[in-house]
Amino acid sequence: MSFDTPAENRAFAEKFGFGYPLLCDVDRTMGVAYGAADSPAAASARRIGVVVGPDGRIRSWEGKVAPATWPQEVLARL
Amino acid sequence: MLEPGSAAPDFTAPDHLGNTVSLAGLRGKTVVLWFYPKADTPG
Repeated sequence: MSFDTPAENRAFAEKFGFGYPLLCDVDRTMGVAYGAADSPAAASARRIGVVVGPDGRIRSWEGKVAPATWPQEVLARL
Repeated sequence: MLEPGSAAPDFTAPDHLGNTVSLAGLRGKTVVLWFYPKADTPG
């Protein structure tokens, strides 16, 4: 997810054929709550990665993940 | 940072197709949340 608008993320998803939802945290509420931004004035999100368990509790939180490798790593852990 | 075992902050947000997604609606599933700085930028 990012702070982009649905139109911006839709173009991104269609360009690369992503098969999962790209959430649009335009007001940064989620970004601040999860530690991807320090305030609602933040220009962009930090590359954090979070796994939430089926019970709604944090399973892991990583403050900096590598986009090229993290998706495969985290899916392999689940 | 958020400590493992703590309650994940609930959220409701639109996705890129205009669907509304909430964490509460995903209860019972494992959820991977991945923030990125800007759509369609390298790195």
